[in-house]
Amino acid sequence: MTAATRPALLLVDDDAVITDGLGSFLERSGYAVRVAADGRAALEAVAERRPDIIVCDVIMPHVDGREFVRRIRADGDWTPVILLTQVGESYERSAALDEGADDYLGKPFDPHELLSRIRAVLRRSVPGQRPLSASDRLRAGDLVFERTARRVSLAGAEVLLTPKAVTLLDYLMTHPDETLPRERLLAALWGFEFATSTRAVDHRIAELRRALGDDAAEPRYIETVQSIGYRFRGPVVAG
Amino acid sequence: MTRRVLLAAAVVLPAVAGVIAAVALTLAQVRTQAVITLSVTAIVALAGLLASALVGLVVAAIVARGRRDAELTAVRAAGEREGSENERAAHRRFLARLDHELKNPVTAIRATIAADPQTADGARGSLAVIDGQATRLAHLVGELRKLADLETRALDLELVDLESIVAESVAGAAGLPDAASRLTMTVTRVPWPVPPVRVDPDLLGVAIDNLLSNALKFGDGPVEVRLREDAGWAVVEVGDAGRGIPSDDVAHVFDELARARNARDVTGSGIGLSLVRTIARRHGGDVELRSREAEGTVVMLRLPTAGR
Repeated sequence: MTAATRPALLLVDDDAVITDGLGSFLERSGYAVRVAADGRAALEAVAERRPDIIVCDVIMPHVDGREFVRRIRADGDWTPVILLTQVGESYERSAALDEGADDYLGKPFDPHELLSRIRAVLRRSVPGQRPLSASDRLRAGDLVFERTARRVSLAGAEVLLTPKAVTLLDYLMTHPDETLPRERLLAALWGFEFATSTRAVDHRIAELRRALGDDAAEPRYIETVQSIGYRFRGPVVAG
Repeated sequence: MTRRVLLAAAVVLPAVAGVIAAVALTLAQVRTQAVITLSVTAIVALAGLLASALVGLVVAAIVARGRRDAELTAVRAAGEREGSENERAAHRRFLARLDHELKNPVTAIRATIAADPQTADGARGSLAVIDGQATRLAHLVGELRKLADLETRALDLELVDLESIVAESVAGAAGLPDAASRLTMTVTRVPWPVPPVRVDPDLLGVAIDNLLSNALKFGDGPVEVRLREDAGWAVVEVGDAGRGIPSDDVAHVFDELARARNARDVTGSGIGLSLVRTIARRHGGDVELRSREAEGTVVMLRLPTAGR
């Protein structure tokens, strides 16, 4: 791969052991990596040259990860961002706290997991376009999800769901056409995997299918991926 | 304190005043005699009055002391409660810090191993050991922190039929190797069924999964799961014919990271039972364990029923 075709990645973390280790791993995996030591340095780096994707820690001095995402988004910059979050923080809480990171990964993580998230986010994102994760309203056919109000409607009729089912739907709709392992959906629901089983995920999927009138055998929205997890059928559009 | 001194002064003052006056009269050589004649009726009436006053005073003193003791007990209990809450909060903060401080080094270790050209198709040999142990370390602290978080996180309560939750856990556990033939579940329905419970079904499922996994892994005999009602409580009982727990270890099995002496050869983190207890208590219930070494163990999870 030549330097020109290697996606440009900005890695932001205030701990040098992370940027060194992770930086060389990402380099070896085919990314042109630049490093910034905190949110302020990252803002400067982005202003200088816009990367293809940003991997950013949450807790940093000066400008932290969330503030960094808020500021670049306020400038209309839709560069995809993956935030490295804290254990105990659910997707719902994460999504509510910032304004549109594209994905979240809790430290410590398997570096290969980060790689697969980076690839998925890059596949999903259209340069210069607002990502689904930064949109307030998502639509897939007749299904409309207003994320801030946490209101779901199907062909104009409101659909009543438990809070956990809404959180799961949010995760599914912001990751369309992506195979989502049950473990990842569980982490999205709870913020971490306590469970000895992923039944909790299957229950919420069953609730969603019931409420949306989705047939598991011939799904319009939620497909079962044999022995792995689930996939939301796109396309999902913003607005 | 001041109040007590004032009261004592009020009681003693008339007596002192009387003594002083008597001394003064003696010194002044006053020899006047006062002769008071009283009918027996009046004396009896006066004696009664005096006795009433005395008894009244004694009763008032006892009541006051009782009230003071009750107040003291209440204040002490509140203090102890607050103290133990503060202690738990400090414990939570400590675990959060420890967890946070461990995360970066472990992430760095894993990233450095992954970046090593030798591990292009997966870590092997000593690098795999380092990677595995670093992960294990972080996992352990992470589990402790989750346990602490669980004490305060919001529950998603639903009115549910406990039988369906237990049955699902049993079905899940039956999928473990050699488990299906060892597991039996009985549900008491006569004379009355187990009333519904208001619980977070996901968390309760985790608690029951843990009990089943313990019962199965410490032996190869039968495991009985019993669901019954007991005076307004729903009780889930998991009994096994496993190796049991040494009697002096039983008191500590619910402590974080505690593992019985005879459990070291079986993998586990020592978190499971603490997790079960935390989940039980968050639901207003509790968990109890009885065990005999080399005979088996029975754990009773109690939950208040919705009507209670």
